[in-house]
Amino acid sequence: MNGRTKRLGDRILGGAMVAMLALMLAFLVTPLLVTCLLAFDSRSFLGPLPPPALSLRWFERLASLDYVATGLATSLKIALLATVIDVLVGTAAAVALDRGGFRGRGLLMAAFLSPLIVPAVVIGLALLLFLSRIGVIDGFTRLLCGHVVITLPYVVRTVLASLAGRDRRLTEAALVLGATERQAFWSVTLPLIRSGMVTGAVFAFAVSLDDVAVSMFLTDPSTYTLPVALVSSMRASFDLSIAAAAVLLMAVTAVLIIVLERFVGFDRLLGQGLFRS
Amino acid sequence: MSNAVEFHGIRRRFGAVAAVDDVSFSIAAGETVALLGPSGCGKTTILRIIAGFERPDHGMVSIGGRDVTALKPYERNVGLLFQHYALFPHMTVAENIAYGLRHRGTDKREIPDRVEEMLALVRLQGFGSRRPQQLSGGQQQRVALARALATRPGLVLLDEPLSALDAKLRQDLRAELKQVLAAVNSTAMVVTHDQEEAMSLGERVFLMQSGRIVQTGSPSEVYGCPGSRFAADFMGRANWIEARVTRRETGLAQAVSRSGLSLTVPHCDAEAIDICVRPENIVLSAADTSGPDGMVNSASGRILNVALLGATRQILVETSGGDQLLVMQANRVGDGLDPGKAVTIGFPVDACITLPAGNQAAASTSL
Repeated sequence: MNGRTKRLGDRILGGAMVAMLALMLAFLVTPLLVTCLLAFDSRSFLGPLPPPALSLRWFERLASLDYVATGLATSLKIALLATVIDVLVGTAAAVALDRGGFRGRGLLMAAFLSPLIVPAVVIGLALLLFLSRIGVIDGFTRLLCGHVVITLPYVVRTVLASLAGRDRRLTEAALVLGATERQAFWSVTLPLIRSGMVTGAVFAFAVSLDDVAVSMFLTDPSTYTLPVALVSSMRASFDLSIAAAAVLLMAVTAVLIIVLERFVGFDRLLGQGLFRS
Repeated sequence: MSNAVEFHGIRRRFGAVAAVDDVSFSIAAGETVALLGPSGCGKTTILRIIAGFERPDHGMVSIGGRDVTALKPYERNVGLLFQHYALFPHMTVAENIAYGLRHRGTDKREIPDRVEEMLALVRLQGFGSRRPQQLSGGQQQRVALARALATRPGLVLLDEPLSALDAKLRQDLRAELKQVLAAVNSTAMVVTHDQEEAMSLGERVFLMQSGRIVQTGSPSEVYGCPGSRFAADFMGRANWIEARVTRRETGLAQAVSRSGLSLTVPHCDAEAIDICVRPENIVLSAADTSGPDGMVNSASGRILNVALLGATRQILVETSGGDQLLVMQANRVGDGLDPGKAVTIGFPVDACITLPAGNQAAASTSL
């Protein structure tokens, strides 16, 4: 093969890659754009795109719905509480798993991360049965338990990654300089895994805010999260206030991503949570 | 005060490998010792045992007359300069230096003064509020040194102190490191695989091989009188000539090499010997000029190749008997020592280091 055909091959391959990426992006972004457009549609029915005029009527309607306000309040409370619990428990668990040196470490790690793999329906049903068996029938407590279970793996994972990415010699340096293991943890290890903790917390918050499948099992008639409320209302009567709600949730997510990008750096979000100066 | 550090019969195994195999030594207070050996010889394990990161399986370690074998790192006052410095990235230079002072119970009001004092010692005044990432490699190394010395430890360990720096900077910092260590007058152990670093920093060299210390002595002793082929090869370049002793005189011996070269060497007991001649001890001159004067041992030969190193050249010479010898010569202008040139080489009796043939010290000597 001469140089020219080699170069041609490279160009074809490169072109195909770009085309594929563009297609994937279109596939991901188009529904979001359509939703945004629909949320501002001034018509009272679902008509062909584009809408003839724009308005905020669906946002107004959304604001007027009682169950949306109740659901949003519950969602935020649950997400915040679950995130706090996740960061405390998840960091402690990750530190223990990282230190290792005990039997069943692999099993424990698998258990902590299993909610990422086990289907949400299974988790929801299992939790419902288990919690009613031990006498927890309060909707809020049930939801909180469920959300901690499904969001904890995000914190455990990101903190584990930042622990793995840190330089262990820094802890040794602290010890040889006279710090006890506890002092070394607070003054050296913890500041170094902070970005992992923040990343995990943001993920946990977003996942909690978004969850439908597990929450569906754990709500009671007076305690429900926003996504659950929206899904039920959609079943009962479909209108475009659901698109408005989707736009609001997207806005929250976008803000979270911007926060992460500012404080942690987006490429570190999924890679190693190393210390950022 | 007696010995700053004592090792009594220390053993440490990792699985089937004896990383440290019955090592004993002592270091006098104020002395600087270089622990030298190839990678994997166990020198890092010794460092980690002294610092308290590893516990020996057997044996006793004492520092300043106190048995510290079972003590945690923070219960000993040892300073450690890490190979890659291990500076805390989330703290400023001053906070890094103050870390040891805070945790070793120095009076809070004294800390800022001590930090300034340490910064002055390593010539980094005004850098206290910088972050480690904002400093060059050489500056980071000096901060790490200041941090290690801030608590005035009875013993300072330096783990490959200069290996992370480039060659030119290394030479400057080596001199500076020596000055700083002398200024604080503390006992120090330099752990390194670089024999130049070991010889220039250490007042004594401990040469390690496969978990054991195979030779100790001043740098010139270990370099000039290696006790084994391994020691001779590890300390520097060596030409080896296998020979048999034919006649002995007072203090001298006559030997004939395998290739038929007659040599006069210092007295030795063995019959079959290996003779080591350092490349810098061989004098080389073009065959058409008057040969090297006063050299007992000489041979004629031909230059095979020349490697220019700047101020010096490494010249590989093949003798008429077929021996290949490496010669180190100053790089002088216009002496016409090019490949193919006929030359005469010569070296004095005391340039010959004789070892009994097959002296392999421990298991693996081929490097």
